[in-house]
Amino acid sequence: MKPSLAPYAFVAPALLLLLTFGVLPILVAVPVSLTDLNLAGLADWSRIGFVGLDNYRRLFADPGFWQALANTGIFALLGVPAVIVVSFVAALLLHRSENRFFRALRAFYFVPAVTAIVAVSLVWGYLYNTQFGLLNHLLSVAGLPPARWLGDPVLVKLSVVFVAVWRGTGLNIIIFLAALKAIPQEYLEAAELDGASGTRKIFSIVIPLLRFAFLFVAVTTVIGWLQFFDEPFVLTKGGPLGESTSMSLFLYQEGFSAGEFGYAGAGTLVLFLIIAGVTLPQVRARRTDADR
Amino acid sequence: MREKPRLALVVAAALLMLAACATATPGGGAAELTVWIMGDSSARFERLVEPFTDRTGIAVDAVAIPWDTVDQKFTTAVASGQGPDLLQIGLSKLPAFAASGALLTLDERTLKSHPGLAAANFLDGIATSATGGARVSVPWVSDTRVLFYRSDLLAAAGLTRPPATWDELRTHARTLAGQGGGRYGFHVPQWDNTLPVIMTWAQGGTIVGADGTIDFDTPAFQRAVDLYTGLYADRSVPPDADFDQVQGFVSGTSPMLVSGPYLAGAISEAAPQLAGKWSVAPIPGGAARTSLLAGSNLGIWGTTDNRDGALQLLAYLAQPRTQLTWYELDAQLPVSRAALADPELTSEPLVSVYAEQLRDAEPLPPVPNWDGETGKALLDALNSIVLTAANRDTALRGLYAATTGTPAT
Repeated sequence: MKPSLAPYAFVAPALLLLLTFGVLPILVAVPVSLTDLNLAGLADWSRIGFVGLDNYRRLFADPGFWQALANTGIFALLGVPAVIVVSFVAALLLHRSENRFFRALRAFYFVPAVTAIVAVSLVWGYLYNTQFGLLNHLLSVAGLPPARWLGDPVLVKLSVVFVAVWRGTGLNIIIFLAALKAIPQEYLEAAELDGASGTRKIFSIVIPLLRFAFLFVAVTTVIGWLQFFDEPFVLTKGGPLGESTSMSLFLYQEGFSAGEFGYAGAGTLVLFLIIAGVTLPQVRARRTDADR
Repeated sequence: MREKPRLALVVAAALLMLAACATATPGGGAAELTVWIMGDSSARFERLVEPFTDRTGIAVDAVAIPWDTVDQKFTTAVASGQGPDLLQIGLSKLPAFAASGALLTLDERTLKSHPGLAAANFLDGIATSATGGARVSVPWVSDTRVLFYRSDLLAAAGLTRPPATWDELRTHARTLAGQGGGRYGFHVPQWDNTLPVIMTWAQGGTIVGADGTIDFDTPAFQRAVDLYTGLYADRSVPPDADFDQVQGFVSGTSPMLVSGPYLAGAISEAAPQLAGKWSVAPIPGGAARTSLLAGSNLGIWGTTDNRDGALQLLAYLAQPRTQLTWYELDAQLPVSRAALADPELTSEPLVSVYAEQLRDAEPLPPVPNWDGETGKALLDALNSIVLTAANRDTALRGLYAATTGTPAT
């Protein structure tokens, strides 16, 4: 084996996984979305019928689909800026010192990201519970009426987004911290000699130099929020009345609960195109940026 | 060239891991039977089948499947072809499961050597209904809905007996909720797609039209909707989806609710100190006092490699003695006629109410997909009225449009 082959061997496992679990399913979804594949068809392939674009017509006429799409938009608009701002600010604060306390804090902020979603859902489910939840207990201590954290159509969106932001910041804090450490100290010292204030240093030196980290975090966060699934799935099952159902959850319910695989396949492709449409311009923007 | 073997090793290890993932299959030779038991009864089920294992030497591995993941589990099993040997199937899911073709057809010839599995041994309605064509399952447990009430709290509010009609229940609930302190009178679970049907029956109607298809556009259903939405308008029921019915009953927040026999077990387990302070009564009525006939069947996976063992286990589970033991262990009602008539069972006070209700109980109409389509449309329409103040006529018209013409025979 030539040494030049080594890099390919190293990326091969990852590439293999990506092809098997990422590219192949999308390719399979294309023909599936043109059929009426359901539970019966799954057991016996001869019972699958070709239906053309019927699934897409049904999808665009389905109020549940539009509700899920609108919810996903709301989730992304709330969640993406929140995750980016919170993780950047937290990273800046954590970067101020290297002592033991700050190192412990860093681990503390990372814990939500590595905690199993089932445990997260149990704990937050109890915090949010209308009947015996801690949050409502605190409200009652303050003399306020109980809030329906997971029962109110508007509040439920904020509740699931809050948990997702709480879970999503840990990893991004680490990315920002690593990028912060890579900024040459000389730049900041020079700015300080010129009399730049703390805020000025952040906006004129730190943020421009973190451009790549911001782009990476933005792209991964946007994709993550367009595929938003875990939190509504475990906390509300998409309820009440679909008010917290995201696109991914809608597809999961159609596919795995109702057994309508053709229909869910059509929805998957629509979601895939939306994600591609949102992400490609971002990556393209970076490319022109690097060429300059 | 020292990297070469090391590199090959890494690649080989990675491939091995992939291969291990791909071939991981549920173990079990011909001597073991895997059974999917819904809910959290699997440990008790293993105790139930101990005598069977002792006698036949066939080990039984009961796997617990949570109720809300049943569909996904079944779908995955159908897609991969890797199913259990036997599985419990809720009656409302039976048409969909039967249509998948993944279950073994239990025709005369297959059941020849097991006379205990003949339909005549089981409660009417369960054995015959909802199978939609070929028989793919045998009855396992029956279930009906009765009224659970806190006798102590009703008495404290000056109510001497449980409500006999839905109108009376509404008045009782108002009285109980009117005591204040964040209390309610009744509990309507937001996931319960059978309660509106029971309410329609109580109004003297049905949700199946004369032509054998679903028809919600009837005066009786309108009156049931009045009742359902009225309970919310009275503020007699909690509006929260995360309201825990056992917790609410034990704490007295919701002193009345409609549920099945399994709830009695849950209450006794959660609050043994409440014994004597609660009881059950037949479902409230009106023009009729019909309750739901539900339950679960057991089916055999079509590609099982131990068909004879699976049939033997089915026969064992259908024996009246086994069915009685199961009531003792798990508080689930038998479906075998002999077991239901056994004095050991009928002498229990709660069971006498269940047994009385079972005599006036009907199954859900056998639509192709009750939980996923008809029942969901019903709940969505009603809950949108009471939870999000949607326009009643619009919501109901949406329900009629979504369900009219659904075959129910």
